[in-house]
Amino acid sequence: MSTQAANPLATEFELELDKPLTAYWIAILRVLTGWWFFHSGVTKLIEDGLAYSYGPAYMQQMTGTALGPIPVWMGNNLAWLIAPGVPLFETLIGLALMAGLLTRLASVGGVFFMTLFWIGNAEFGHGVVNSDLMGLLLFVTVLVLGAGRYYGLDAIVEKMQFVKQNPKLRYILG
Amino acid sequence: MTDTTDIVDRIAMGLSGALFLLGIVVLGLVELVAGKPYSPAPLTNDAGEVIATPLIDPTIRTGLVIAAILVLALWGLYKVATPYAGGTATRRETAATE
Repeated sequence: MSTQAANPLATEFELELDKPLTAYWIAILRVLTGWWFFHSGVTKLIEDGLAYSYGPAYMQQMTGTALGPIPVWMGNNLAWLIAPGVPLFETLIGLALMAGLLTRLASVGGVFFMTLFWIGNAEFGHGVVNSDLMGLLLFVTVLVLGAGRYYGLDAIVEKMQFVKQNPKLRYILG
Repeated sequence: MTDTTDIVDRIAMGLSGALFLLGIVVLGLVELVAGKPYSPAPLTNDAGEVIATPLIDPTIRTGLVIAAILVLALWGLYKVATPYAGGTATRRETAATE
């Protein structure tokens, strides 16, 4: 651990966070963030199935944001993807994080969603650092830490031969 | 342990970090010093009339944060496109489950 103390960022995408308390908390952080998205997605699935029409409508009203015309264009042209995609991907991202499987890939999806929510909700009455941004930061944290390696399935998957032969898979596992 | 960060990694971390801090902290301080409203949302009176507008458009601050995220995303794509430099496949990242 003396090496880690000298260099907390052991290698570019790795942290040897093998102390029990740290590992425990990273796992808790990952699972609770996953539940947050799973609950959000699965309740939409229960209510609207794969026809979540509020999704495209939400994007269409996102005018005058830092994302320019992109959200409105998406709302107008990608409704076929957004309506089923929002509940489905929220659910899958949540499941992936809770299981700790494909954690980094799922976290990228979470960052994408939370960026749109942060910009779209624009609830800045108490500052730009609001709950949407904190959610975004949670996904980035889970991604950076490779949180699936702590009591998650990615820890098992990364030991498999095909991952050892294709180490770049660690960029979407972890 | 070997430090495998290269110049691209350092630029990505430095640039994205600078953009994050500029968008959130530095411009937040500027807005604070400029007086009400202290948050990037217009201040209204009881009648709903706008009595003070933020000095810095929130689009600018959110745009800086989005730019920071884009830098990280591009960095990720760069890492995928270039040879893996993460060391051996038998590191101790799975220790917590052992």
